[in-house]
Amino acid sequence: MNSIIEQILHNIGHLLDSCEAFLAPILPGQGIAALIAFFFYVLLLLGGGLTAVLARNLVRAMLGLVITFLGVAGMYLLLASPFLALMQLLIYIGAVCVLIFFAIMLTKNTTDGEETRCPNPINVLYAFLAALAPIVVAGPIIYLQTQTDPLQVQKIPVHTPVDSGANLGEGLLSMDLLPFELISIILLVAMAGAVFLAFKPQRSPNS
Amino acid sequence: MTSLTLFLWASLILLALGLVGLITRRTIVGMLISVELLLNGAGLSIVAAAKTSSTNGLVDIHGQLAALFVMGLAAAEATIVLAMVLVAQRRFGTVATEAITTIKGSKA
Repeated sequence: MNSIIEQILHNIGHLLDSCEAFLAPILPGQGIAALIAFFFYVLLLLGGGLTAVLARNLVRAMLGLVITFLGVAGMYLLLASPFLALMQLLIYIGAVCVLIFFAIMLTKNTTDGEETRCPNPINVLYAFLAALAPIVVAGPIIYLQTQTDPLQVQKIPVHTPVDSGANLGEGLLSMDLLPFELISIILLVAMAGAVFLAFKPQRSPNS
Repeated sequence: MTSLTLFLWASLILLALGLVGLITRRTIVGMLISVELLLNGAGLSIVAAAKTSSTNGLVDIHGQLAALFVMGLAAAEATIVLAMVLVAQRRFGTVATEAITTIKGSKA
């Protein structure tokens, strides 16, 4: 029994070694487990994003959006910012998705809406071609500009100078105080504006 | 290829998918979903750039806080769009973008 387990572990080690040998020339200096996690999150992004964009049922599209949010939260974890990952889960999956779900349900768009009609495939093709534009423009720039890493901070998971929430709170109340106050005003105005837009005054019967 | 390249390409994927959604969706709700994809890509690229291009702790904090502000703006935007969807549904009976072509409705 022990020898079988040893054999399996040996084989897994060989597999990881060959993975590393395959990836090492392309991605020097990255941890292999972090790379596997990274590409798993990229798969989540791609699958969830494609579902969110192409699903004909809007509830399914929203579920794809949730998958994408989970992938981005994982990327934040790989970037050594666990507080942001937690906020991603709380704000996006907890709040924004519920708002979108309300919007879908209040407009009866699940089974007989405009979105359920299949779009012209030519139009979808054109949309993908149009979305290639930022990739074609920005992709080579990213590739060329990030080749040299003067700081040698290039491993995934990223080495982190700061990782505690207390530092974030101090930054929020010292150097980023103005954006912090501004965003509180924006949130207040957005809330008041939403109530103002959606509020339907009841007509009293004797007026 | 540095890790910044990888993370920026991941955010570029989100940008492209959000653009595809913005072009192909035919209702406000579908476009709202696509805009959320775009904003996620923006936040991811900000954090990745701040984390991997400096060892200065202040830059790190700035990057994370900027991503937090993007999240707050996304929440405010989703609230406003929900109210707009409600108004459009009440006034036009649909949220298809082809039907909502007048700013001043015929009847409030």
